[in-house]
Amino acid sequence: MKPLSIAFIVFTLALLGFSTYQALFVAPTEQTMGDVQRIFYYHVPSAWVAGVCFFVNFLASVAYILKRNSDADALAAASAEVGVVFCTIVLITGPIWARPVWGIWWTWDARLTTTLVLWLIYVSYLILRHFATGSQTKLLAAVLAIFGFVDVPIVYMSIRWFRTQHPSPVMGGGENSGLDPAMLHAFLWNLLAFTCVGIILVVARYRLQQMENEVEAEHARLALAGGAR
Amino acid sequence: MSGYVALRSAYAVTLIIVLLYVRYLLGRYRRVRKEMRDLKRSS
Repeated sequence: MKPLSIAFIVFTLALLGFSTYQALFVAPTEQTMGDVQRIFYYHVPSAWVAGVCFFVNFLASVAYILKRNSDADALAAASAEVGVVFCTIVLITGPIWARPVWGIWWTWDARLTTTLVLWLIYVSYLILRHFATGSQTKLLAAVLAIFGFVDVPIVYMSIRWFRTQHPSPVMGGGENSGLDPAMLHAFLWNLLAFTCVGIILVVARYRLQQMENEVEAEHARLALAGGAR
Repeated sequence: MSGYVALRSAYAVTLIIVLLYVRYLLGRYRRVRKEMRDLKRSS
């Protein structure tokens, strides 16, 4: 591992420790919900990382369709997988927050339902990549990723377009939205820390995919060499 | 479920999911590296 990568991992771990301290001990307690509101500090950054990963997956899929570049395909696979990991965190921490606040674990409102659909789309993308065989698999996966990405802006806009059980936007949601400066401070530290974790995971998964591609190419080369003998 | 328990559960879930994924990546990385070594040896 390169020294720069190690330094970035150490920096991210330190940042995670600091941001967790900010979220759990420094940010003021919300008056209505109490301590459970602090879930916000990792629920929202997880959603952010998932959204960015799916956007990267979309761009990489477009690049793959245009250029048939295996690196673009590796980036698409890596970002989709990491996106699913963070989307899973969102779908689990959301209901854990909802139970004490709403009194229910789940409701079929627009934000929750579209997020679940998003998760299902990208899980099906990963299943397709894993189980489909044949030369067209990567192309089919790229097409699915492009169509699947349509759900990302729908998830983002769902609490603006519909009246939902889910809280309305805390930031960028109009006149009455906004965070207490101390809360915003803790939130931004967590956003940065989660983004760094996301970058590390995508890069690690991307390198792994490249290594797997090399192994696959080596297998093909050996098979051809064996057949030629 | 009280707010404090919910907070701790959500934090634990976040940590466990990320750690499990890192473990999965490391396991897969070890397998690929071993396969690469075997391939180089056989060729």
